[in-house]
Amino acid sequence: MLFLWEPQPKKRWISSEIRTQAQTIPFEHITIYSWSLPMVMSICHRGTGIALSAGVSLFGTSALLLPGNFASYMELMTSLRLRPALIHAAKFALVFPLMYHTWNGICHLIWELGKGMKIPQLYQSGVVVLVLTVLSSIGLAAM
Amino acid sequence: MIAVLWRLSALCGAQGGRALLLRTSVVRPAHISAFLQDQPTPEWCGVQHIHLSPSHHSGSKAASLHCTSERVVSVLLLGLLPATYLNPCSAMDYSLAATLTLHGHWGLGQVKSAKAGLLGLSALTFAGLYYFNYHDVGICKAVAMLWKL
Repeated sequence: MLFLWEPQPKKRWISSEIRTQAQTIPFEHITIYSWSLPMVMSICHRGTGIALSAGVSLFGTSALLLPGNFASYMELMTSLRLRPALIHAAKFALVFPLMYHTWNGICHLIWELGKGMKIPQLYQSGVVVLVLTVLSSIGLAAM
Repeated sequence: MIAVLWRLSALCGAQGGRALLLRTSVVRPAHISAFLQDQPTPEWCGVQHIHLSPSHHSGSKAASLHCTSERVVSVLLLGLLPATYLNPCSAMDYSLAATLTLHGHWGLGQVKSAKAGLLGLSALTFAGLYYFNYHDVGICKAVAMLWKL
């Protein structure tokens, strides 16, 4: 997706550096850019996306490769007699990346329409996404 | 605004092979752009107010269609989430399996470093989910059972 704004990098320029246009230092952007909320949110959107995809792929391949059916694994989980707090925490951990990715995804779709891309709006929407993520994760984990 | 115009011209330049625009002294933070997902690729679902030469139109049309399809699938998946909760059934299971794998496949395709074996992985995932829906309880029921723990 195309961001129609360009954050100003805080570059540390060392005078002895002579760089040609072709020279780039790997991962330099981590060191020269001042961190901002929209930047971190974007990275997390990618990160949660990758994690969720990995989870879905793991589930799909397990369905093909592992023996027994889903009910048997549920019975196994029940037989472990895990503490409710642990189960609750596990549900929260499962649902948190999904909620973050969903709410931030909605933001992305709104941006595609060209709305809400002013800098202050980006920060506001970022905070809203985080608040919604936490609230919806707590709510879903409690169900 | 200037950044927008520069981006659009870079887009045009990349497609038209007019390297002159790209080889200017303007700092092109390629790593930063890639990280922030704003590479001037031919893919852009927005309205393009620039005139593209006819020879490059087909390429950009395919990319634009792909881009739009990605958004459509995203909206579809977004709608499916509450729908499967409110009306769990077999049709929802299969729709979710298809939409989820497609969205994941296209999403991972954006992460350029994750290209190798992506098609195989996505195919395997879809096969697994389909198998699960057919032979086992299905996604909706599985989530319900998991949540009852």
